[in-house]
Amino acid sequence: MNLDSMRTYAEGDTVDVVVIGTGAGGAPVIAKLAASGLSVVALEAGPNFRPEKFAFDETLADEIYWTDERLSGGSTPEAFGANNSGTGVGGSTLHWGAFVPRADPRDLRLFTESGEGVDWPLEHADLVPYYERVEGFLGVSGPPTYPWDAGRRYPLPPVQRNGPADLMAGACDSRGIRWADAPAALVSREFQSEDGPLRHGCINCGFCHQGCRNGAKASMDVTYLPLAVAHGAEIRPECFVTGFERGADGRISAVIYSHAGRETRQRCRAVFLCAGAVETPRLLLHNDLANGSGQVGRNYMGHVATQVWGTFANEVRMNRGYPSSLITEDFIRAEGADFAGGYLIQSLGVVPLTFGNAVARGRGLWGKALTDYLGRYNHLAGIGINGETLPCDANVLTLSDEVDARGMRKAQIDFGYSANEERLNAHATKVMRDLWEAAGAEDIWVLERVAHTIGTCRMGHDGDTAVVDPFGRSFEIDNLWISDGSTFPSSLAANPALTIMALGLRSADRFLATGR
Amino acid sequence: MTGRPPDTLFCLHFLGGSTRSWEALARALDGTLRLVPIDLPGFGAARGDTGYGIDAMADAVTEAIVAAAPGSFRIAGHSMGAKVALALARRAEDGDDQLAGLSGLVLISGSPPSPEPIPEDRRAKMLAWIDADDETRAKEARAFVRANVAANLPAEAEDGAVEDVLRAAPEAWKAWLNSGSNEDHCRRVGTLRMPALVLAGSEDADLGADAQAALTLPHLPNGRLVTVEGVAHLLPMEKPEELARLLREPMPASAEPKTFPVPADYAALIASDRVNSRLRATLRQRAEPDDPAYAPKALDAVELAILRAVFARVLPVPGLDIAARLDARLASGGGDGWRFVALPPDAQAYQAALRTLDAAARAAHERPFVALDEAGQDAFLTLAQKGELSVPESLGGRLDADRMRFWFEDVRADAVRLYLAHPAALASIGFSGIGAGGDSPEPLAAGLPGFHSTGLDSPESWEPRSSESAR
Repeated sequence: MNLDSMRTYAEGDTVDVVVIGTGAGGAPVIAKLAASGLSVVALEAGPNFRPEKFAFDETLADEIYWTDERLSGGSTPEAFGANNSGTGVGGSTLHWGAFVPRADPRDLRLFTESGEGVDWPLEHADLVPYYERVEGFLGVSGPPTYPWDAGRRYPLPPVQRNGPADLMAGACDSRGIRWADAPAALVSREFQSEDGPLRHGCINCGFCHQGCRNGAKASMDVTYLPLAVAHGAEIRPECFVTGFERGADGRISAVIYSHAGRETRQRCRAVFLCAGAVETPRLLLHNDLANGSGQVGRNYMGHVATQVWGTFANEVRMNRGYPSSLITEDFIRAEGADFAGGYLIQSLGVVPLTFGNAVARGRGLWGKALTDYLGRYNHLAGIGINGETLPCDANVLTLSDEVDARGMRKAQIDFGYSANEERLNAHATKVMRDLWEAAGAEDIWVLERVAHTIGTCRMGHDGDTAVVDPFGRSFEIDNLWISDGSTFPSSLAANPALTIMALGLRSADRFLATGR
Repeated sequence: MTGRPPDTLFCLHFLGGSTRSWEALARALDGTLRLVPIDLPGFGAARGDTGYGIDAMADAVTEAIVAAAPGSFRIAGHSMGAKVALALARRAEDGDDQLAGLSGLVLISGSPPSPEPIPEDRRAKMLAWIDADDETRAKEARAFVRANVAANLPAEAEDGAVEDVLRAAPEAWKAWLNSGSNEDHCRRVGTLRMPALVLAGSEDADLGADAQAALTLPHLPNGRLVTVEGVAHLLPMEKPEELARLLREPMPASAEPKTFPVPADYAALIASDRVNSRLRATLRQRAEPDDPAYAPKALDAVELAILRAVFARVLPVPGLDIAARLDARLASGGGDGWRFVALPPDAQAYQAALRTLDAAARAAHERPFVALDEAGQDAFLTLAQKGELSVPESLGGRLDADRMRFWFEDVRADAVRLYLAHPAALASIGFSGIGAGGDSPEPLAAGLPGFHSTGLDSPESWEPRSSESAR
């Protein structure tokens, strides 16, 4: 994004707030605080990309993924990098799929409902106005009415349905399952960002995960960050935060970061840590900070994100169009479920490398079987879920003994399914297989997959069992706030970004009201 | 590179040999080639010279070459002499002026740049008798010569060979067995571009065709392996006429770069204004042929050869050197942001896994992995995939069965990602995504074509078809 004429602060200045990270957690906070007149400096580890670089190629897009190595363990080791972790001004939203269902109210009361998992320390009703603000600001495209939430309205009409969506819609019809055009954070027609650029309507290129070339997708660099810069925030790319300075009172007085090989510090009155559910706990553990509860790094979660694939007589050409243009939420609470929580189902079109990677890893094909199967690319389509993962003691982020190029210990993430995830997965797999049979698929197979990074700095009412309060404020260090997926007490079935943004705005409001 | 062979051939003998070892060959050549045999330090007339390491021997040979002042020349290295010849070839390709005329190698039952696979019991025995009493020495020297030939040499030749062994400096003999043969020059020798004729005896116990294929040929992209039937380890004495014939043949031609050709209609799409400039340049760069003499940076040449064999099974695409492309990526340190915690860092994991795979083949079949047929290689890869490939550490296993399973998952993924980055692969699957864009001067591009139709069975007229559906 264009940062040429932004306001800048000197090293000696003490700014009101330093925000660490410019993705879905950080950007709304930066914008809200700057628009409220605060002096804000945002530190982003990655570079500032210009959309001109987004070139419709998966390998060239490697630069927008967080490729500093993480170690994946546990019984269901999770892939990072392109699977869920971004870098650059805009963070993971640069490669994000922009699939933005809201959390289901029942998912925030899971323990009350089922005796499993935890309840969130806030009400769904607290989130709704923030959801509406975010959707309106981003220009979310969606159906005129949402089958699972009668009152919900989206600001823009849905994006064009693609081949996999048509197949899924037909299959759902034949099985009596409701479906809808997916709520997608991309604009189905030209849209003027508030204090930001004119964004062009989606051209159905299918490369959402490689960086959007025309601003249709609501990545932070074309939405909240231009708004923030217009209101005087400074965004500093290529600044990797390594530590903090604290005053005698224990509060943070400066953020220490490296830029161009030089250690630098920015003095500040408060910090919003928005580095995501891996780098946020890693930084806290590295500095032994805000972890009196012992909860930092605990209850790591990735969504159950199993996919079912099939081959169709139709020419599907699944690379065309918004990749996940159909949704059903009928299984957020499934009939006859033997598990807590639920899942949503989405249609899937996937670009070749990502798909080939999944086939090679997940289906285990090699040799001629592999090249033959890839040759059917234009006749393939998938469906996949995003399913609840309950917090669990075994799933934890720790610091490895292995260090990165900076000398910081690498994050090790142990993740595995427990009985609830296994049952949910079995249920969903059966449903998806049935749907794809109904759609006329042949050669159906199942790709086991884990998505997203959630948990590790859970919010709660009590500083003995949680890292931050229900507004994201650290129990221990009262000028430290966390705004990202790390604060989620449980995973929710919904994809996390929209809820992360909504929580971010809510934290910012709280900070403005009480925090200073 | 074909044509009349150069007229001078410097000859480096085997352990216990000397200039005399080449006499029968000289007679067979009958002056058609200028042979310049050289005694290596500690052997033959140079028995009083010291400096038994590979580099010291190479220095001595360089002196002899300079003294002979040839124009263009080749070096023939026999067994121990081959390892020295390979070290000299490295120096020549690194620009050593004294060796500027070196145009090719002839390696005869060569000891490879890697540590030579000599069975420990034989090594120990050879170390023991060289310092024994004269009677034992004479008996064992004759046994040594006989053990290295398929059929006994003519009496005069055998007597000469035995005499050479007995006059060798025992220190030189032991130095080779204890250290020279174990020196690891694999990374230093790397990949040599000069042509090479690699000769193996069909009856050679340790340095036959399998060993040459696994340990020597990986260094020689322009090398040709010829197995000579009915010969063990001492080809120049066993079949001098056959060797003379091989030496008179033209040296192998340089390997042509192989290509994975991009079909014309896909190339036209790449050239069209539907594809943006950055992508067009990138796709064209990826379509460039791979250098057959690619010098590995993360792996060594032997490991790269095993990896090529693996990829030939995992993702068989003639004309695309996935192994070289992967090595370049490993060397750049550019990872994908994660790895299985059970595995060491990517490059180390590849090295350990490839060595384990090779050890498995040797343990089961006494053959290196690269020498197995396709079904044999597939069997080990299938075991790896199932998590059942287990090789004891004592037999060279470095990763256990679970780790081999994780590694083989990474292998498949790495292969497919490199394959599908290539425009010819995208063409073969009929991928139209590259044509959704084009250039725009605007930061947020206006007016890009994208796709107008996205539903089933509605290809736009310009979209490529897969090679499968085109059939």
